[in-house]
Amino acid sequence: MRLLLVGVSHHTAPVEIREQVAFSKAKLPYALAALARASATGEAVVLSTCNRAEVYTTADDVSMGRQALAGFLSQFHEVSLEQLDPHLYSQADGDAVRHLFRVAAGLDSLVVGEPQILGQVKDAYQAASDARTTGPTLNKLFHWSFAVGKRVRSETGLGEGAVSVSFAAVSLAKKIFGQLEGRPVLLVGAGEMSKLTAQHLQAQAAGPITIVSRTVEHAQALADDLGGVATVAAGWSEIDRLLAAADIVITATGAPVPVLTRARIEHARRTRRGAPLFLIDIAVPRDVEPSAGELDEVFLYDIDDLLGVVAENVSRRSGQVASAEAVVDEETARFLAWLRAREAVPTVVALRERFEAIRKAELDRLAPRLSTLTPEAKARVDEITRLIVEKLLLTPTEQLKALGDHDSVVAHSEALNRLFSLAMQEMRAGRSTGPSGTPPGDEGAPR
Amino acid sequence: MTRLALLLYAAAAAAYLWHFVYRHPATGRAATALLAAAAVSHTFVLGMHTMLVGHMPFVGSSNAVSAFVWLLGLSYLYTEMTTDERAMGAFVAPLLVVLQIIPTFGAGVVARPALLETPLFVFHVTSLLFSYAAFALACVLGITFLLLFKEIKAKHLGFFYARLPSLQVLDAMNVRAVTIGWVFLTIGVIVGLFWVATARVASPDDARVQAMSVLDPKIFVALVSWCVYSFHLYARRAIGWSGKRSAWLSTLGFAIVLLNLLPVGFFFTRSHNFY
Repeated sequence: MRLLLVGVSHHTAPVEIREQVAFSKAKLPYALAALARASATGEAVVLSTCNRAEVYTTADDVSMGRQALAGFLSQFHEVSLEQLDPHLYSQADGDAVRHLFRVAAGLDSLVVGEPQILGQVKDAYQAASDARTTGPTLNKLFHWSFAVGKRVRSETGLGEGAVSVSFAAVSLAKKIFGQLEGRPVLLVGAGEMSKLTAQHLQAQAAGPITIVSRTVEHAQALADDLGGVATVAAGWSEIDRLLAAADIVITATGAPVPVLTRARIEHARRTRRGAPLFLIDIAVPRDVEPSAGELDEVFLYDIDDLLGVVAENVSRRSGQVASAEAVVDEETARFLAWLRAREAVPTVVALRERFEAIRKAELDRLAPRLSTLTPEAKARVDEITRLIVEKLLLTPTEQLKALGDHDSVVAHSEALNRLFSLAMQEMRAGRSTGPSGTPPGDEGAPR
Repeated sequence: MTRLALLLYAAAAAAYLWHFVYRHPATGRAATALLAAAAVSHTFVLGMHTMLVGHMPFVGSSNAVSAFVWLLGLSYLYTEMTTDERAMGAFVAPLLVVLQIIPTFGAGVVARPALLETPLFVFHVTSLLFSYAAFALACVLGITFLLLFKEIKAKHLGFFYARLPSLQVLDAMNVRAVTIGWVFLTIGVIVGLFWVATARVASPDDARVQAMSVLDPKIFVALVSWCVYSFHLYARRAIGWSGKRSAWLSTLGFAIVLLNLLPVGFFFTRSHNFY
């Protein structure tokens, strides 16, 4: 049995192709069921995010399996194979394992180390588990990948530091204020970037959010976009009062000169009696007089500062890639050792049964000659022969379980099968040749 | 056994520092376990000394330092358990090691003079040691606050930014530690005043008792530290001196406490030189 992965990602396919082969939540159970029916062991997991669509399954023949999965993706998503095939990649066995572990660790992401991907891998597994299309191999593989993702994050700095301006602003706010719950936010200007930052702050339960804009309609529109949490301050007259009341201020106006002067902020600082004030100035030209950042308890970050933070974090993350790759390599080797040991089990069992049968047959044949022995002596003879068989089997068992790759396991198993005429029905039971690529319509999937 | 406690404190300090730099979770857990083992062995040492001389071995500067280290270790472990925050260990544990060297290689324990055999004295010393432990924690929190504050202000978010909790958490923990320390310091000073009054009557010829006045360096510096911490709490409530100023005040306060505990306690006092 081989592990097989076929898919597209941001590395291989443009967004138009990725959009076409994305699996919607509604269609996912049908796709999983179709894939599981076609796989060697009835196992399939589909990982579908905005950056990738990957199918993990099992197959006896990798080449045929890849072909079948490509056909399946083409037919299920109604994309021609000629259009899809150049963007598809496939990996088997150790490469597939390493790929999933790299994905879970965030090493294969568009933004290296992004934290969301581990949750998406977990969701993909959960969906497959709910659809009952996971079995011993994929269960183990995906649980292992969760542990790898967690290990990479805890042992390396790969996931640390925000790598987008809005997340950098939110991370800074958390580092200043701890919990953001209930922290009043003031938006000066109603630009797209300030909206995005405010949304990230809202996700951390920050608020209430107050919006100040020269145009009431703009402020109202943004207030509506932010889910009705915001209130609108119509005009600039109230800004001093609002500045003193807010903990976090995001400014993004189109004003040609700073609207928040040092004197204004100094006044707010005195009113706030030393409570920290975090100013995020994402306007160009700047909205906040730069010298305001020199005031105690005032933390001022403009767009260049935030971009600098992002660049530092990106650079720090890339410095952690080698450590993360080492963790992935180590865990891949450990998983493959487990997988090969598991593959060798039927041969080991058959070998033991064969030896035990020979031992019993010989003891039965010699029974008349042993009839003069006392029951204790007979038990000792039985014990000695059993121990001899166990010792004879110890080394081959260990060697078989320690084999490094699938082909070696198969070759050694075949050799042992021939040498000892093993009965290995369990190895052959329930096999098929791989995903058949049955059209989803025929499998009951929605069109 | 005292040396074993010192060794365990040193091992814990190394582990905390390693964990702080490399952020390896297992090393962090090992650091906590080592510090707990150090505190247990130190408790055993103090218990043995108590059995040996018949009272808690808090008398004299060397023993006071040992008791201070013990209380600080326990207070820190309690803080770590209640806040789930291990970063401070990298600052507290090395301080424990440096201070524990004094009792490990200093004077041993001997029976206390009859003058000190009173519950008021035990209460006085215990309260002050609790307050010093709390002030030490406040100082560490203040220093870490300043380090993080500096990084955020300078816009180079690096070493401390990735390792320390938020400014808000550090500030809140700092004021909590200062408040606890101030309460114990106040109780310790008031009980000390009562004790001096009774001691003056009981031992009119004892030069140490007669030296117990505001003019004695030990008492004077203790009162200065009380003034600093009182101002710290007043300024925070009345004029909004939180954050950076609060951190500086707790650092200054503990510098005065250390001054009183070590050079003044060992060399300058005329009223507290019992050994």
